[in-house]
Amino acid sequence: MIPASWYLILSAVLFSLGVIGFLIKRSLITVFMSIELMLNAVNLSFVTFAHQWHSVKGQIFVFFVMMVAAAEAAVGLAIIIAIFRARATLNVDQVDLMKL
Amino acid sequence: MHLILFIIFAGFCLAGAINLLLQTHPINSALSLIVVMSSLAVLYLLLGAEFLAIAQIIVYAGAVMVLFTFVVMLLNVGEEEKTHGSKAAKIIGFPAIVAAFSVLTTVILAIQNKLGGVKLSDGVTPMTELSTVLFRDMLLPFELTSVLILVAILGAVALARKEGHR
Amino acid sequence: MNTFAVNYGNLFSITIPETILEVVSLLVLVVDLGFLRKSTQPARMTAACVLGVIGSVLAGLWLLTHSGTASFAGDALVLNSLVAAAQIGILLLTALVLLLSFQAEFSRNPGEYVAIVLLATTGMMLVAAARDLLVIFVALELLSLSLYVLAAFAKSSALSSEAALKYYLFGGMSAALMLFGFSYLYGLTGTTNLNGIAVSLASQGLSPLVVVAMVLVAAGLGFKVAAVPFHLWAPDTYQGAPAPVAALIASGSKVASFAVLVAVTGSLIPAASASRGATWIVLLVWMAGASILLGNLAALAQTSVRRLLAYSAIAHAGYMLLGIAANTPQSGAAVFYYALTYALTTVGAFGVIAVVERNMGSDRFDAFAGLSRRNPLLAASMLIFLLSLAGIPPLVGFWAKFNLFAAVLRAPGVGAWGLGMVIFALAASAVSLYYYLQVLKRVYVVPAMTDEPMAVSALEQLVLLVIALLVALLGIFPSALSGWIPLG
Repeated sequence: MIPASWYLILSAVLFSLGVIGFLIKRSLITVFMSIELMLNAVNLSFVTFAHQWHSVKGQIFVFFVMMVAAAEAAVGLAIIIAIFRARATLNVDQVDLMKL
Repeated sequence: MHLILFIIFAGFCLAGAINLLLQTHPINSALSLIVVMSSLAVLYLLLGAEFLAIAQIIVYAGAVMVLFTFVVMLLNVGEEEKTHGSKAAKIIGFPAIVAAFSVLTTVILAIQNKLGGVKLSDGVTPMTELSTVLFRDMLLPFELTSVLILVAILGAVALARKEGHR
Repeated sequence: MNTFAVNYGNLFSITIPETILEVVSLLVLVVDLGFLRKSTQPARMTAACVLGVIGSVLAGLWLLTHSGTASFAGDALVLNSLVAAAQIGILLLTALVLLLSFQAEFSRNPGEYVAIVLLATTGMMLVAAARDLLVIFVALELLSLSLYVLAAFAKSSALSSEAALKYYLFGGMSAALMLFGFSYLYGLTGTTNLNGIAVSLASQGLSPLVVVAMVLVAAGLGFKVAAVPFHLWAPDTYQGAPAPVAALIASGSKVASFAVLVAVTGSLIPAASASRGATWIVLLVWMAGASILLGNLAALAQTSVRRLLAYSAIAHAGYMLLGIAANTPQSGAAVFYYALTYALTTVGAFGVIAVVERNMGSDRFDAFAGLSRRNPLLAASMLIFLLSLAGIPPLVGFWAKFNLFAAVLRAPGVGAWGLGMVIFALAASAVSLYYYLQVLKRVYVVPAMTDEPMAVSALEQLVLLVIALLVALLGIFPSALSGWIPLG
């Protein structure tokens, strides 16, 4: 038997790594991948809780997160293509026409 | 057996995620993310979610990551440039994340006993049960997702299409 | 209250307004891509916008004539008079945004533009009615994805895609944070229904994991309403997105997000446990205070009217968060009233900005110089909008602030922080008058560089005058909306 908390801690580690990637990566595509990593961490935590509650609601939630993540990735990559056409760069620091 | 499987695939997950951060070429990062996603699928199996394990492989590793690699190749993205980025993000961000993570871990360990454990003999969620809930009780979100995908299709086509000539 | 079990018939009957919008959006696509491919760009835009306006008016009329309370799928979706008010408001805002889009030249895909605006509107309407974490998540994502796409729609402008990118990055990040919070709420309670969560949380006392979940959910929803410290996207997105899209992001999306924030707050603060309620309230009050302070101070330094409106939107979000933290039915209603009237005024202000930008090519303060001589009606509308945003009586912005702060002060248990925060908010509103007057000084005092009249279409002029009239009339007859929004 493995404590369920191990799965939750793994999910927390993956989520933190995703946040770190979001902050340090300078290529837009990798930043998007970091967001996907965070969503995967969320999914692991949902599946663990679904297992502990013996309810399929959590698994269904994961199913919807997957579908939404796929749609989100499609839109995000389309935005990347639009940026690349206008700017010919994918570096986060060079997409800075407006001051933050 | 369970412990060995968990340690191996949790290890793959972590290694993949850390490698994602260390690699400078997006294609290498994408491949490490695929490793993370595939090992997560095995962990889902250990948790009895066989449908999600398959969906994880097909949707994430299959569709989403193919899209990513496709865009990397379409735009011919090269190595990541070493710009210094935002100093504030690193100075405030890292301690904040480490602090948040340690708080989270302590909190989870504190309620460890209440959470119970996971056994391989716990059984697998039957597909019939899953699909009954999905197509009966979850009708509204299900239909809503179809609208969402329509938006994604319309948006992706409208944004990625070249303007100028028709 | 009528409760509806889950089946396609009931789903259809309870979402007829949303269905109307979806059918119309498909119709727009068919008409635009099927029949009007060879027509000129303005003709296609006009046809698509006309259809879109008809669709939202039809959906609004249906809601006006079919009021009542209902609950679908075990409270996953709830209809009552407040929700109906929010939904009718959202439809009105969408119709106004589409009316102001007739002259827009930013897109070569008018069919897709109007269709996505309508689909975003269905997302907003469902967000306002949703009472289940899963429905809230999917509806919020429908809304957000549509807005990301719309923000990038001006493909010839580099600012537009940058605005969309920043909106998308912060949006994706905060959606992940919110989901992480949702997963802990589900883990603690075993349900995704807000009522079920409230019942279950009330029975188990304050565990640290609840606090973590609350912080994560606050981050996700704080992004949607642009509250500090999750506001970073707002100035750039307001500045770079096409004007009608920025108006939609600033209006309808805000109304929907505040509606869901009120609902979530209701379930996270059960009456039984004061201590846990306090955690959520402390989070909201801190976010409110920081938003009011930073929004108003940063707005003072702006020279672009769009960025000024963005920072003032952050400040307004702060005022509304105070109302949500008070957590009484009256303060909830006051937040709805504030969000709706604020959104209406903002759409008007963005309408004026769009006209000025088309003529002058910029939204800087200089572009507004001498507007009163170049187009007195436009200048008068801008005067009404900005004074209402500043909260000057007898305009509707004054009553919105008055009702909101009165509701906060009357709420039981707000004690010292309530009084202190209201005084702070009042002082901050006085500061906000300064930067609104900075714009009005350009409009009325500073002489224009040229005297040629500002070109504006008759339709835009009419729509802006109607909005200005509404803002003024609602201020003179403040009880006009009390049928829907019982301010108590």
